[in-house]
Amino acid sequence: MLCVSSCFRATEEEQQAQSKKALKKQQKEAEKAAKKAEKQAKLVSVSFPDRELVRVQDLTPEKADQLIWLRARVHTSRAKGKQCFLVLRQQQFNVQALVAVGDRASKQMVKFAANITKESIIDVEASVRKVEQKIESCSQQDVELHVERIFVISQAEPRLPLQLEDAVRPDGEGEEEGRATVNQDTKLDNRVIDLRTTTSQAIFRLQSGVCQLFRDTLTQKGFVEIQTPKIISAASEGGANVFTVSYFKTSAYLAQSPQLYKQMCICADFDKVFCVGPVFRAEDSNTHRHLTEFVGLDIEMAFNYHYHEVIDSITDTMVQIFKGLRDNFQTEIQTVNKQFPSEPFKFLEPTLRLEYTEGVAMLREAGVEMGDEDDLSTPNEKLLGRLVKEKYDTDFYVLDKYPLAVRPFYTMPDPNNAKYSNSYDMFMRGEEILSGAQRIHDAQLLTERATHHQIDLEKIKSYIDSFRFGAPPHGGGGIGLERVCMLYLGLHNVRQTSMFPRDPKRLTP
Amino acid sequence: MPMYQVKPVSGDMEVDLPTCMYKLPSFHDLGALRDIVINANPAQPPLTLLVLHSLLCQRYRVLSTVHVHSSVTDVPPQLLSCLGPRHADSYARHMFQLGFTLIWKDVPKVQMKFSVQNMCPIEGEANVARFLFKLLAPYPSDPAAATLVDSWLDTAFFQLAEGSAKERAAVLRALNSALGRNPWLSGPEFSLADVACYCCVLQTGSAASTPANVQRWIKSCDNLGHFGPAKRLLQ
Repeated sequence: MLCVSSCFRATEEEQQAQSKKALKKQQKEAEKAAKKAEKQAKLVSVSFPDRELVRVQDLTPEKADQLIWLRARVHTSRAKGKQCFLVLRQQQFNVQALVAVGDRASKQMVKFAANITKESIIDVEASVRKVEQKIESCSQQDVELHVERIFVISQAEPRLPLQLEDAVRPDGEGEEEGRATVNQDTKLDNRVIDLRTTTSQAIFRLQSGVCQLFRDTLTQKGFVEIQTPKIISAASEGGANVFTVSYFKTSAYLAQSPQLYKQMCICADFDKVFCVGPVFRAEDSNTHRHLTEFVGLDIEMAFNYHYHEVIDSITDTMVQIFKGLRDNFQTEIQTVNKQFPSEPFKFLEPTLRLEYTEGVAMLREAGVEMGDEDDLSTPNEKLLGRLVKEKYDTDFYVLDKYPLAVRPFYTMPDPNNAKYSNSYDMFMRGEEILSGAQRIHDAQLLTERATHHQIDLEKIKSYIDSFRFGAPPHGGGGIGLERVCMLYLGLHNVRQTSMFPRDPKRLTP
Repeated sequence: MPMYQVKPVSGDMEVDLPTCMYKLPSFHDLGALRDIVINANPAQPPLTLLVLHSLLCQRYRVLSTVHVHSSVTDVPPQLLSCLGPRHADSYARHMFQLGFTLIWKDVPKVQMKFSVQNMCPIEGEANVARFLFKLLAPYPSDPAAATLVDSWLDTAFFQLAEGSAKERAAVLRALNSALGRNPWLSGPEFSLADVACYCCVLQTGSAASTPANVQRWIKSCDNLGHFGPAKRLLQ
């Protein structure tokens, strides 16, 4: 039977003045007991008690008067005379617990409970009691626990680098009431603790949902998931923003995108593929939406007659993701909104598709001066997003037929108008989340376009070779998981949706 | 000597008084598509606008699309196809003069958005119908005739569509007597008044039991062939 001596169950013992010898004896015994406790506490898996641990979220009036075991963190503990109030927390749920002097608990036990440090993990045996007045501050509002036994499984250090209630406080509220909020860098430096907050738990559960919906939707559409190499011999998107790694006696690069390999899979007859994996961009941009490493969700597919088949596939996948989040993750969305209020995400089905010329016309009507073939600057993208929102009430849309001049060399030109291309960008809340296109699948045309862009043909020889042995017409695009989650939830910094973000200034944790 | 003098407030400022409520843009320069956006509640499909849509398609190259907004779920399939089959050229938006984008959305009233910079949204099926009709043909230049059309429009939408059984009966009697004097509601010519009243009569569900002149007029409307979309939706 597991017996930890940090649990005081004995009846009250009077402390009396002892002779030196007796005092020494007591000290020795205390040391011995403490050592035993330490040893025992670290020896979890010593025995396998037939004991069920109840989840905090299942503590409802239905369990009233039951004696249950529970493992949770100490969120807060507060002693008041002969009682100690604890709030016990498990992920986004918490419950009030009471340790009171009585026939089951001694004064020492109450004192012990009050001194357990915040965030320590404890096991309690307690009876569930209905309460008359709702406990507003907890997720379980209709019951409280009356503790009979309490064990510390893992003790937390007394000084925490940040307080969870500060980390969850909305920014404005902190300033008004003079209470602390935690700045982003502190949160990121102590990510393990920051991730315990209800907001963080909600964000990353939603992100997990996005990934799952992406996979499930594409699998249902007949796509095959592939894994592509990240250590590559040539920079795929252009030489500047690529990380170099030493590779035995030579050097290699970290992949900026799975582009080349997705296309090779299409040329290898996989027809429709997707991949989920890290993408590395050595861009020295310190903005709210750039990371040096992020998770790319990439799609590539062969099509029959028109690249709009690709756009339709991608937009339908996005709509299914949005619907899945809307219908199954409302709890998480509301939790995030408590700390970071925002407008709910709106979309149309089928997705709105505007042509680049229409976008330019809308911007010109709003007073922007730009040429027909100019690229959209970030402020113009945001303005166009607002104009589209005002007219169509959607936070997600596609801008189709970009000018050829502003797209990468492998973009297929528009056969009907040489100035434009079969390429498209997709926007969420006015920010770009996907840049895609029909790819050139003819080796000769590809060589011409690469030459036109003054690219060293030697460096992309193996890429061009992929199309020499019969290549289907194909297109695709990729999104960043972190950016999509950030924009869906209406957050303002991509680091909030990246578990352990990487940027030019951050390499740990 | 006057008791007090009011000094001029704005001095010699010239004020440009507007002379027209809104300008209808020219559809004849084929630059970018000009898109009319209509938000409607799937619980109350705007039949008049569907009829006007098919009239517009006869007059202009119209790109029609139907979307469902995220504020509603479960829109019946006939509402998704109410603007007809997808145009063969719909992959090239710039080849069309006019866009007609119908969005099924949780809105209390039909709402139209066109040139967001220059126009506020237009609300109510009657008002949107007036705008769309003006793209097809001008209102009668005779103010009395124009007012008559407007009056029938309001009667259709407020009393026929939304009124009590008593009000509806009164409207049907009025229709009957007007149609005793003229083949169409505003006189010798088919007008927006006929479109609106026909749709509202159809929506009451009791077209078969209307008075004689109304029945005759319903047949004349059917013969014109514009009301197919509205009738299909009510099936």
